[in-house]
Amino acid sequence: MRETTKTLRQFWALMRPYRARMAGGAALALVAGLSAVGLMAVAGWFIAAMALAGTTGVPINYFSPAAAIRAFAILRTGGRYGERLVTHDATMRSLVRLRTWLLRRLIPLAPAQLSSMRSADLMARLRADIDALEHFYLAVMIPFGVAFIGLGLVFLISLAVLPLSACLIVLGAVVTGIVVPAWTRWRAAEDASQSVYDAAALRGLLLDALRGHAELTVWGGITSHNARIASLDARLAAQRMRLDRVQALGGGMVPLAAQWSVLGLLGLGLAIVHAGGLSPIWLVMLSLLVLATYELITPLPEALAQWQATVTAAQRVFDLADTPPAVLEPADSATLLMPPWVRYHNVRLRYREDGPWALDCVDFALAPGAHVAIVGAPGAGKSSLLGALQKFFPTEEGFVEFGGAPLAMVRGDDLRQHMAVIAQYSTLFNRSLLDNLLLAAPDADAGRIHKAIQLAQLEEFVRALPQGYHTILGEAGGLVSGGEARRIVIAQTLLKDAPVLILDEPTEGLDAQTADDLLVALETAARGRTVILVTHRLAGLARLVDEVIVMEGGRLRDRMPVSVYMERSGQI
Amino acid sequence: MDTTAWLRREGQQLRGPLKHVALLTTLNALVIVAQAWLLADVLTGALFAHVPLSELWQPCLGLLLLAPLRALLSIRARRTAFDASVAVGTHLRRRLLDRAQALGPLGLAAEASGDLITRLVDGVDAVLPYFARYLPQVTAAAIVPLVLAAFIFPADWVSGCVLIVSAPLIPVFMVLVGQSAERASQKRFRQLTRLGAAFMDTLGGLTTLRQLGAAYRIADQLDSEGEDYRRLTMEVLRIAFLSALVLEFFAMVSIAVVAVLIGFRLLWKEMLFQDGLFVLLLAPEFYSPLRALGALRHARMDALAAADHLIALENHEVPHITQKNASLAPPRGAPALTFDDVYFAYADGRTALTGCSFRAASTGITTIVGASGGGKSTILKLVLGFAQPASGSVRIEGADLSELDLAQWHECVAWIPQQPHIFEGTVRDNLLLAAPGAEDSAIRRAVADSGLHYVVARLPQGLETPLGEHGFGLSGGELQRLAVARALLREQATVWLWDEATAHLDKESARAIADVIQIASRTRTILLIAHRLALAQISQWVVVLGGGRVLEEGAPAALAKASGPYQRLLQAEAR
Repeated sequence: MRETTKTLRQFWALMRPYRARMAGGAALALVAGLSAVGLMAVAGWFIAAMALAGTTGVPINYFSPAAAIRAFAILRTGGRYGERLVTHDATMRSLVRLRTWLLRRLIPLAPAQLSSMRSADLMARLRADIDALEHFYLAVMIPFGVAFIGLGLVFLISLAVLPLSACLIVLGAVVTGIVVPAWTRWRAAEDASQSVYDAAALRGLLLDALRGHAELTVWGGITSHNARIASLDARLAAQRMRLDRVQALGGGMVPLAAQWSVLGLLGLGLAIVHAGGLSPIWLVMLSLLVLATYELITPLPEALAQWQATVTAAQRVFDLADTPPAVLEPADSATLLMPPWVRYHNVRLRYREDGPWALDCVDFALAPGAHVAIVGAPGAGKSSLLGALQKFFPTEEGFVEFGGAPLAMVRGDDLRQHMAVIAQYSTLFNRSLLDNLLLAAPDADAGRIHKAIQLAQLEEFVRALPQGYHTILGEAGGLVSGGEARRIVIAQTLLKDAPVLILDEPTEGLDAQTADDLLVALETAARGRTVILVTHRLAGLARLVDEVIVMEGGRLRDRMPVSVYMERSGQI
Repeated sequence: MDTTAWLRREGQQLRGPLKHVALLTTLNALVIVAQAWLLADVLTGALFAHVPLSELWQPCLGLLLLAPLRALLSIRARRTAFDASVAVGTHLRRRLLDRAQALGPLGLAAEASGDLITRLVDGVDAVLPYFARYLPQVTAAAIVPLVLAAFIFPADWVSGCVLIVSAPLIPVFMVLVGQSAERASQKRFRQLTRLGAAFMDTLGGLTTLRQLGAAYRIADQLDSEGEDYRRLTMEVLRIAFLSALVLEFFAMVSIAVVAVLIGFRLLWKEMLFQDGLFVLLLAPEFYSPLRALGALRHARMDALAAADHLIALENHEVPHITQKNASLAPPRGAPALTFDDVYFAYADGRTALTGCSFRAASTGITTIVGASGGGKSTILKLVLGFAQPASGSVRIEGADLSELDLAQWHECVAWIPQQPHIFEGTVRDNLLLAAPGAEDSAIRRAVADSGLHYVVARLPQGLETPLGEHGFGLSGGELQRLAVARALLREQATVWLWDEATAHLDKESARAIADVIQIASRTRTILLIAHRLALAQISQWVVVLGGGRVLEEGAPAALAKASGPYQRLLQAEAR
């Protein structure tokens, strides 16, 4: 677990663009807070003075205090409105950016670092944890700032009027503004921090309940899974209740302290008033001043009960953001020679430090325009070859060369710009068909798109869609069939003008007829490009390639013309 | 149902606790009155009657003791309301989850799960403050001013009139200002759920986005969508804060009027200082609950907006699966599965089966092949009882499926879906989900038979390795083996329903699994869906499906000779 101070420093650094707004909000908060104190103090002075004037008959100038009361009232209401607008706007702005900042930090982590994480947990960090960060500014920085500046002023005033009362105010403020908040923070820490994890876990369980509903139904696991959800929810509920109890107790201490302070002040002050050392008017003013000052302290104990939850949320956010990408990127990309050669130079790659080699001294070259298939059992290293080529996973020894440059000298995004990929897990997005296509080529015009649709044999499909190109494809493209989804991905790759085409089991999960139909589209896509095809079953795909590379246990075992391979495997 | 009415109905459970809160609040108001009276008494005595402090110890002691009593009462009230509302929230979440699950596997597949989670977690959490804070505050706003007014009037009827006249204006203004805010708030919540779903969708496809070089572009888009959300939120807040401003302003003006009126009457000696101070101390307390209500206004708006989405989920049409006499136990032993002239269309209008009839014999392998979109997966969904035929019947041995107890029927089934879901937990957890309490020996057997042991050997913690969503970087073939192992663990199953059992597997692994299937088929009904014809060739019966009906069926050897669709599939695969 990272240190709290480091986390806070990191957060504060990210807030740089919003600091001016934040400071503005804090200033307004201070104006509103001080006006409230001023209002009460002047009002107390005013009526006490009026009453005294009434009993003594001494004339009194009531215009200036009345004007002061008006001014304070306006400042207070206006300042409060402005404060709330400005502070909330600043928070919203910063959180919106923080969220996409985190997303941008996640992008280089896919797929190497993210494959072992649950999307529900990632989502909880992106969403709930980042939302929780508003607490730092809104609930901690502002109230504490206002309370301490306000208290400082009140201290000076009371020091001038009645020095003893200043001591009393300081004592009360230290207890309620520091001791009680410290207590709530300590008391709530465990529940607060645990509730962040449990809330994320609840999302995970709910996601499993919804996405895995069919399986749970058949396995008869719904009752027990729901029971797990219920018990986690009950635990969260208990945590929240305990947290609120601490907050209520801490929050309740402030008015209590306020009332006792006033009593103490009266005990001190009345004796002095009777001794003639102080005008009763000032004593009334001081009493109301003290009461109003505590209003500034009121939010502090409750705010600090949430402290640990906020810190935990921040830690979760920054832990994720600071995960180093698996692959280092150079500052600038070397110039790539097109059409590119692809060369593996004695490449070794593994996924764990002490794990077995996924690629073991793989060495081969593909000339521009080569069409090869890579075959082998699962775990033979086929996917690792592609992972290394796309710069998703680092090579431990040796290197991969693309267009004349070692991958270490090319930025991943610049590199992948030259590759069109149809992967096992190519996902479609919950956007319109058109938007999905445009992901591959944002500036494609209608003509190009239509051509790609035609070549991918999707014309019929598009015609049948209720809103044509503007039909939403559903979560993860869930509303289209497997074959249609694969063809949409092919249309994407046709739109992407890249010299290397990577096909990772492009016909898996499709029936023979559909797969055969797809071939036509694939052949079009393959024309004039380097093709690297990973597959388990070469049968239908043989006409896409000229050569076959056989992988086994991470090593390149054989390389031969496709005709030879077909002949041999026919014999087996 | 009307949103407000819905919230009120949910609030019914809080009735008892709210009564309790009302009692505590009333007591609290009385304590406030007593405090103000004692304080005014002490100050008047000490400052104006010059009574020595030693004679004022009684009211001072009273003040000393009333302060903790007041704290205690308000803490107690808050706790009562909070605990009760947390219970309401837990209950509500549970009910909505039940409701979502009632959509059934087919209904849920059509929903964006990111959106559902937002409703179940954030939606319910957004409703809570309404119960925990807003409703109790409404109670306080109704009680406290009245109690205080009852004591203010005898002391000073002029101030009493000022307060009582100004008080009703506040809620009126609040409602006027609030209505437009509520509309904006609903728009905001819609944007929030949309944004949630967009992030979820993006997270799920980050690798694809990187391959397309579109990841940072999407991040930019999300930036601007987040900006929209901020604008909508600020729109809501501007109005919400405005209503608080109006409230504060009114309260402030009224207090000022009261103070000025008291001040002048004191100056003109028309009033006792004690009464004046007493009323002046109570005036802020009179408005305080109303002001707090104004500050909580956004809690109500958020709750209303979120409730809209919760209601929508609650009112989501649930597919009614009519189990006529759904108590029949499934036949013992391997049953034959019969489809008799089955018609079926999905809720979105897609027609899947149009007069489909075939029979999968008890024991032996029946394989369904055919082009995708031909209705193959639909057949398994009907056999599993996820949906019912529009007409025709699905029979398990002699019994109509709709008469069977589905839970008991499912116990007989080992199912591999087209896209197996990987649950949160370790490899072992994922296996045990299908067969809770399976013994280690059974797990070892299933792991070996499915070929999963090759995979487990590679994993850092073996069976105890936690799996990510797509399985700790397991490849398609490795996940497929996990799904097979999961199905094999259901040893008591007499019916195997396997969709694409050997997808992503190389020839040797596929052959090993085919062997397992063949051995099992001696005592079980096995219905396979296959894209690869290797599995069809080892089966006793092949059904070729196309356009929602059976195009051809028969023994594979015979079909291979007949020049029909099966032969064409064989040829397509050979090409």
